[in-house]
Amino acid sequence: MKQSTVFLCTCYDEIDRVVDCEALRTRLLKDPRVASVTVDEALCREGRMTGLAESMNKHDESVLVAACSPLARGDRLLQDLAKEGIPASRVQLVDLREGCSWIHANDGPEAEKKAVDLLEMGLISLHNKEASADVTVKPAGRVLVIGAGPAGLAAAAALARCGIAVTILERGAEPGGTLGLISKIYPDDITPAERLGPLREAIEAHPDSTLRPRANIVSVSGYAGNFRVRYTSGDREYKETFGAVILATGGRIFLPKGHYRYGELKKVITQMELEGRFKKNLVEGKKAVFIQCVGARCDERPYCATTCCPASIKNAMRIIEEEEGQAWILHRDIMTPGNVLESYYRRSMAMGVQFIRFSPEDPPKVKGIDTVESVEVRDSISGVTRTIPADLVVLSTPLVAGVDTPVLAVHFGLQLDSYGFFREIYPLHPVETRIDGVFICGSARWPVSSEQAALQGEAAAMKAVGLLAGKTLAASELSRVPGPKLGHARADNDSCSGCGNCAAVCPFDAIRLQRRRDGGTFRMVSRVNKFRCKACGSCLSVCPNGTMQIPEASTRSIFGMIEKAFS
Amino acid sequence: MTESGSHKPVLVVGGGVAGLIAALDLAALGREVELVDSAPRLGGQVAKLDKIYPGDHCAFCPLWTEIKRVEENENIRIYLTSNVTTINPEPEGYTVTITGEPGWIDESLCVFCGRCRDICPEQAIRPLWEHASPPSFFIDKTQCTQCGTCPAVCPTDAIDTRRPSVYVVLSVADIVWATGFREADLTPLAEFGYGSHRDIMTSLEFEKWTAESGPNQGRILRRSDKQPPRSIAFIQCAGARDLRLLPYCSGVCCMHALKQAQWVKRRSPEIDCTIFYTDLRTIGRDYYDYGLKSLHMATGVNLVRARPGFIRPMPDGSALALNYEDTEAQKIRLERFDLVVLNGNLRPSLVPSSPGAPAPVALDGDGFVDRAGDDVSRFACGFSREPADIAEAVLHASSSVMQCVTREKGRG
Repeated sequence: MKQSTVFLCTCYDEIDRVVDCEALRTRLLKDPRVASVTVDEALCREGRMTGLAESMNKHDESVLVAACSPLARGDRLLQDLAKEGIPASRVQLVDLREGCSWIHANDGPEAEKKAVDLLEMGLISLHNKEASADVTVKPAGRVLVIGAGPAGLAAAAALARCGIAVTILERGAEPGGTLGLISKIYPDDITPAERLGPLREAIEAHPDSTLRPRANIVSVSGYAGNFRVRYTSGDREYKETFGAVILATGGRIFLPKGHYRYGELKKVITQMELEGRFKKNLVEGKKAVFIQCVGARCDERPYCATTCCPASIKNAMRIIEEEEGQAWILHRDIMTPGNVLESYYRRSMAMGVQFIRFSPEDPPKVKGIDTVESVEVRDSISGVTRTIPADLVVLSTPLVAGVDTPVLAVHFGLQLDSYGFFREIYPLHPVETRIDGVFICGSARWPVSSEQAALQGEAAAMKAVGLLAGKTLAASELSRVPGPKLGHARADNDSCSGCGNCAAVCPFDAIRLQRRRDGGTFRMVSRVNKFRCKACGSCLSVCPNGTMQIPEASTRSIFGMIEKAFS
Repeated sequence: MTESGSHKPVLVVGGGVAGLIAALDLAALGREVELVDSAPRLGGQVAKLDKIYPGDHCAFCPLWTEIKRVEENENIRIYLTSNVTTINPEPEGYTVTITGEPGWIDESLCVFCGRCRDICPEQAIRPLWEHASPPSFFIDKTQCTQCGTCPAVCPTDAIDTRRPSVYVVLSVADIVWATGFREADLTPLAEFGYGSHRDIMTSLEFEKWTAESGPNQGRILRRSDKQPPRSIAFIQCAGARDLRLLPYCSGVCCMHALKQAQWVKRRSPEIDCTIFYTDLRTIGRDYYDYGLKSLHMATGVNLVRARPGFIRPMPDGSALALNYEDTEAQKIRLERFDLVVLNGNLRPSLVPSSPGAPAPVALDGDGFVDRAGDDVSRFACGFSREPADIAEAVLHASSSVMQCVTREKGRG
């Protein structure tokens, strides 16, 4: 075992006045694991750590730094050491200021005992640390985009503008997604072609980008930088390798069967059916009543689907402007957050759209024998029940998760939320998933407008380009914590019994059981994919044989520290 | 595009969530970044929040991770306590001047020992804010008498009342605005009674006052007498959706109020919480559920659809009187509350503080960056672009970076 160098900071007496650092030094020097102890007034002074590191034998010594909390300046000390070529796997930080001398300022003897324990635990951890072996991959240059709606096309266009080749898979025959069913987009009144046209041009300008219609994923394997995907398009099967994957499969319109006599009365239609009629100029209705939250914000679907309020406002204005009719919107809460939508809402009121608030306990009733005649609604603000003569009832229904999402979640190892949409890394990585290199955007992630979907598509493209920007990609770079990540789990094949506990609990889909020849027979052993592993330690806790280890934080070091702490 | 050594750096103005992610994204594409923030530490408004919705954990941990990554990134240069003071066009970019106005304590030297705070006769020395990392003190220049006591006790010689302004001139290719929001003054809207009683506070003041790491360690107390209130009124759209002050919906306040009411209930279930709202806008993932959860908690949060007629201190100052029309019951009521929290007065920071003063970018009527306005305004993210919560601000950032780097290509 290599000996350790100890740097002990007194922090201008902040540590020293409670815990006697000289006494600690004398004590440490008696420890056979310790080579030398340097007591310093302030390790965080400019250049101090660098100077100390230079005097060390950098190739084999390990360093115990006893100073302040990593949230104060402790982590900076480690950074300085790393810059001098001493990696985190050979350094241990012990917090003697916030965690010891400050919090026990009134009890010197206890603080001193704790300091001794903390230093002892630090040495145990340090002497059981190993460095994980790193691996690199040369990332494939091509990116896979699944879904050719506004999110997918925006992502593909952004990638194409960056010079990255894209394969776009579309389940349908034509690109456009749900947006293709819409006649005009709020709040700018542009057509889907106007929104998607420039995106398609950018994609077509890239010589090596392809859009494959009627596509289906067959199988997926691999990891960030190297996803191997088999898929079919029409009758042909393809096999390609991608550096990153962007999922933009969108949502699905909820059909309001059984709500407000939909399917029973003529002229009770959904918002999407109204869009279709606008497209074909077949709108029949001079007195249109829009009903919001049909099948949304209820027990089965306890969420707001974001797009329905502005969509009703848009179409109500069109009924007034283009059909010279009247429009009522029966709503619960009007969801027009922000500046643009709020002024859109105000504009519609100025134009004469009438808003009536109802309570979910007392929903409107659609009256009529075989076609709509009127809608009865209790205005929850005035308390008056009104009968609106109507010849068209439009039901605003939410977007629900697409039919493909569960299958894709299994293929790519993603999490779904309780409503079936893809889950992101909350809160600061809204297009990233727990699988590195797989990004999500648009209504497959959460219901959004086409404008937001395109914005998210660009954001997802940004992350994909960032991932593929380097010539090589190292497993240690795929970290969501600052600095290099805390190694990867390592399986010791000899002791593995192949029980599969580790593979079952791994939240990152990083462990597979593999057949291995053992003498004349075969047996199953665990194999860790270092690119996917995040060193969370879940596998260690369920392994019955001690096969799984994280070299930087092995069970030996953790149990050693626990033993010390409670001895 | 990614091996763009010849490109000039990009200036990111603002080091809150949007600015941090924009800087990291640019750096990931190999671009050099100049990151400027007027505060002494990165993190922006989110760093000062106690909790974030809908996950209910503290804001600091995820944010700290990103701040660390920014600080460790060799492509990013950080200018704190600094502002962009001039912007002049030059071929393929801008010449900008960054002016640093350092505080009297050098935050890079302060080890947070507290000797200056303990000795200051005016109590003018306080921590930057609870989660500032690394922690540091600052001197409140309005209280300091420059008596000269503190520099003598500082072990690192961090205190100097004559630190000069620092000017840096940079040549940058593009500017990404991520300047966030500040609070609009509510005193002109007389009905809210802001300023008339210490227990009428804005939601950001309430957040700080009740934070677990704040002055009361998470206890819910009144500011006037440090006693626990029996009832709290959360007033939504205070200043927002109001043509007199901010015509837009601030987008984040409904969830913010639900979060605060829920945390009050968690810590002190006996306190009555009522949210006075116009429309309860809960549109993100898990937001509606989050609202339901606060309604169904043991004793529940009350929801009343109303805007206040007036909020006034009681004649003896012991509590606050709130007059409102409960629109769903069609009743006008006068009720007593021990504490009032005003929600909604968020205004983009780029709006000049004094009317008529020029803004550095093109702004629309509401004060948000008009990205079609001129070249310097093309890239904006977070609340400077439109009312945005954390996830939206981050999405703006990544999308702006994408547009910025692809535009570079066209320009070059």
